[in-house]
Formats: sequence, C-alpha cells, structure tokens
Amino acid sequence: MAAVTLSNLTKSWSGITAVNDVSLVVPEGQLVALLGPSGCGKSTTLRLIAGLEEPVSGTVMIGGRDVTKLPPSDRRISMVFQSYALFPHLTVAENIIFGLKVRKVARAERDERLKKVADIVELAPYLHRKPGQLSGGQRQRVALARAIIAEQPVCLMDEPLSNLDAQLRHEMRVEIRALQQRLGMTMVYVTHDQTEAMTMADTVVLMRKGQIEQAGPPAELYTRPATSFVASFIGAPAMNLVPEQDDLLGIRPEHIGLGQGPDDAVRRQGNVISVEYMGADTIVSLATPESRISIRLPGASQIRVGDRLTAHWASSAQCRFNARGQRIN
Amino acid sequence: MSLINHDNAAGEWLETVAAWTLGLLWLLPLLFAVWTAFHPSAYIATFDLFAPLTLENFVTAWKAAPFARYLLNTVVLVTGILIVQFILCTLAAFAFARFDFAGRDILFALVLVQLMVSPDILILENYITIRSLGLVDTLPAIALPYLASAFGIFLLRQTFKSIPKDFEEAARIEGCSTLGVLWRVYIPLGKPIYLAYGLVLVSFHWNNYLWPLIITNSVSTRPLTVGLAIFASPDQGIDWSVICAATLMTSGPLLIAFLLFQRQFVQSFMRAGVR
Repeated sequence: MAAVTLSNLTKSWSGITAVNDVSLVVPEGQLVALLGPSGCGKSTTLRLIAGLEEPVSGTVMIGGRDVTKLPPSDRRISMVFQSYALFPHLTVAENIIFGLKVRKVARAERDERLKKVADIVELAPYLHRKPGQLSGGQRQRVALARAIIAEQPVCLMDEPLSNLDAQLRHEMRVEIRALQQRLGMTMVYVTHDQTEAMTMADTVVLMRKGQIEQAGPPAELYTRPATSFVASFIGAPAMNLVPEQDDLLGIRPEHIGLGQGPDDAVRRQGNVISVEYMGADTIVSLATPESRISIRLPGASQIRVGDRLTAHWASSAQCRFNARGQRIN
Repeated sequence: MSLINHDNAAGEWLETVAAWTLGLLWLLPLLFAVWTAFHPSAYIATFDLFAPLTLENFVTAWKAAPFARYLLNTVVLVTGILIVQFILCTLAAFAFARFDFAGRDILFALVLVQLMVSPDILILENYITIRSLGLVDTLPAIALPYLASAFGIFLLRQTFKSIPKDFEEAARIEGCSTLGVLWRVYIPLGKPIYLAYGLVLVSFHWNNYLWPLIITNSVSTRPLTVGLAIFASPDQGIDWSVICAATLMTSGPLLIAFLLFQRQFVQSFMRAGVR
C-alpha cells in the first residue's frame, strides 16, 4: 500500500510556479529522498504533503485518505524541521511529549512512551534541560524524538542534517536510516546533499524547476541518468558531459582511462588543468577543445598540471543524451 | 594603554556620579515623604536624626478617609484592565501578526493612529459616551476607555512577528488548533514582553488620576489617586505629616511590588529591546 501518493500537484505564488504537476508514490516503509538544487521545489513539495501549504491543484493522499483539504494536525504525520523548531520555553521532555499533550494522551502512557523514545535516541540524561543548553547534535535528537514519539505512519524531514558538522552528519545519517528501518516508518526526506540522498534512500527523487527529473533507486540515478541534468547533478565529481555533434555523451570519471586504450575506445585529448589528490583516488581534470573531462585515478598520481594526455573510455560505458537532454541509449 | 584606562576610569566615575545625583534628585520627594510620615508634625521642616519616630500619622490618615475602600477599588480596577487588555491585545496582535485578511494593513494603520491621539483630548467625548451608557460613577466607567490599547496591540504584534514561523508549524503538525498555537507557542514565548507591558500597565493605571477624578464622585468607586487628592485638598486642613503618611500608604503596594520584581522588570525590558 502506498503511504503517500501525490497526484498532479501544483503550487504557485503570484506567477511563480514552485511545484509543477508533480506525481509521486511513496510506498509504505520506504525512505524517499527529495533531492535537488535550491529553489527546485523539494521543500515546497514536502510542505504540501504536510499541509503547511495549500496546492493550487492536485491531490495528496496519505495512507489511502485524501488529505488535500485537511489541516496538518489531521494528516497523521510527524515532521522534523531544518531549524528543529524546538520550543525554547519547554524542557527536552516537554518538547518531546508536546504533541501527546496536545492530543490528550493519558499521563501514564505519555511517560512510558517518553522513556522508550528517550532511550532510543539516547537523550535520557538530558530530559530536564532546555534546548538552549544542548549541542547541535542533541537538539537534532530531540527533534527526532518528537517526530517518532507521535508514532504517526509518515515522517517528513526537511533538511534535518544541514546544521550539523560533517562528522555528526555522517553519524546521524546512519542512525536515522537505521531508526527508520527498525520502526518501519515511511519517510519523505528533503535534502540538497546528494550523499544523504544516495546513502539513505530507497528511492531518490531528483527535482528541477518544480518538476521531477528522475525518480528511482540511487544506483539507477547514478548508472542510468534519465537526463543530462541528472547526470550533471549526481556524483562527485559529476558525470562528464562531452559534446558529439548534436548529442552529449555522459561518462563517469571512474570509467575513463589514460592512454589510447583498446581499438574501439572513444578518445579525447587535452591539457591537464588540475590534479586533486583525495587520498584513495585522484581527480585529474582535462581541458579538451569542446569540454572539460574529470578522470578518477586510483591512489596518488605523477601527473602534473599542463601535461598533455589522451583519455579513453569504452563506448558501452557512455550514456547518450539528445539536444533536449533526454537519454537516448 | 594606561591613558585609555585612565580615560575610561574617569568616564565611569563621571557616569556614576551623574547616576547617583539624578537618582537622589528623583528620590528626594519620596525621602521627604518617608521622613515626614514617620515623625510628629513638629519635625516637618527640621532635620533631627534623633527625632521621635511615630506611626500616629498613619493611624490618623487611615481613620480620616476610607483608604481601604479606595485600595480595593484600585486593585479591582487595575486587575480588571490588566486581564481584559491582555486578552484583547493578544487576540488582536495575533490576528495582525499571523493572519492574512482583507484590509489588515489599513486596520493596523488605524490602530497605530490611535497611538498619536492624546487620551486627555478625549475626556469630554468619553464622558458623554459613558453618561449615555448610564455608567457614570462606576468602576467599569473608569476602565472602559482603556480596555483596548493600541500600544499593547503594537507591542505584542511585533513580539509575535519575531517568533519564527517554524514554531507555529511544528505545533500545528503536533496537533494544535489556531488558538492552541496561540496558547502553547506565542503566549509562552512572549512572556517577557507580557511581564514588562503588564508592569507598565499596572503602574500607569495605579497612578491614573484625571479620568477617574472626572468620572467618579463617590467613595465606592474612587481609586486611591482620587481619594488621596480629595484627602489632601485644602478644605481638609493641611497636615503634611498625615498627607505624607497617606501618600506612602497609597503608593506603598506598588513600590514594594516594583522592588520585588525589579530584576525581572529590567531584564524583560532589555529582552524586549533586543530584537
């Protein structure tokens, strides 16, 4: 059963269309990441699901119910905000059980659920503090606790990790994913960070200009990008886009080798303009007459800036995009 | 370096002296009242450290006029205005801050215009209105012109507007209705402002004189200020000791309250300013 179904959802403000005819199915128990550059409509889509915005047209179904006209409180969702939105006048415990209190859950049950959730997110020692006395990571956990204690079938996350440092972000990524799978939550997760989307999601939905560019499992977006935009967005460095007549050829940096290669290989020549040593591998950038090509080489490299090199790749490794950016092979 | 320090020290010293001078100047009438009230009439104009202390003046003043009744009137009046203003201003401010409705900006501008009208100008008009309502010489009559406050609406609207919308949205998702959001999010987060505004409001209405003087003419409705003025009027015979004792009695509760709350009072104003 689909937990969330969006049908032809459109939202615009005074002429600007933020979400344009978006249809999407989020299966129950899955983590779906809405990914895209800023202004692509991913946050607006999430807010439409939450009921914080009203669509111009289209419908939102949650758990088989049409909730398009319902207020957020009746949609059976929980949400984690980018700012966490923890109430500064309440303690951690009061923040977590805020919703239960509003919904008049009996005190005994409230306490029991609080204890359980506080253990899950390891907040038990901090329950009597105010959010202002917590670190960024702890605040994030409070926000998470408030979302899971509600035991709503759908949890929405709006860039929940963007205020954390890189180390913590990695930890929380693993933790949130583990939690989501353990509790069997359906999660819609908005992020601009492709690493988050690729590592956590069952399905990645890449958006651009208010529309879905491609939706699929992370590996599909990586290996079979539907458009040149997807190709240029996913991957670090992104897929190389090399013009060939009217088409664009897309090749991942790791599929490119140096030298002439086999006879049937595709080749380009150019000058090295940068060499970035990343530890496990090195990214060499080549300036060819028609484009730039990034090449991922294992380990350290002796190549210097200014060297003239030939790069080659197997034609089977390349994607071909037409003039409108659609993949045609 | 030492020069700068020296300059700072001199500046600080000057500031301290100025602050003390001003403070003492302000305090002088109160000090005089305290001195006079606790000593027999003979010592009004002579300062003698060993003058006999007495509470006689307070007893005389208390017996001479129905101050207990005046105090009750003032307390009821101020509490009533406080409660009604908080409710009205909160609801109006919430509407202005967070709702989109036709004519909102014009209405808010009209509210602000009211800030520029001196209340004293309206005394005659207010009197006519109150009389046509048949409320002359009642406590509601004193309160009625002050039940809604443009300043209160403005202050709370600014406060509500400064509260991040995420809080409201989080509360809505957690199940709050519109009034629930107001009650559980906006009001608790505005608490310092409510405290500061409440204190200003209490002191203003505790001390308000002209309007109550005009609209009341009996013991059962007069607040302290009017009662005290009548008590101190020349036709009662002027005994400064007794008048000062009465003044202290009437301003005492407010003074004590402010001394108790002065830390919160100052803090809430500081917080109200930092936005």
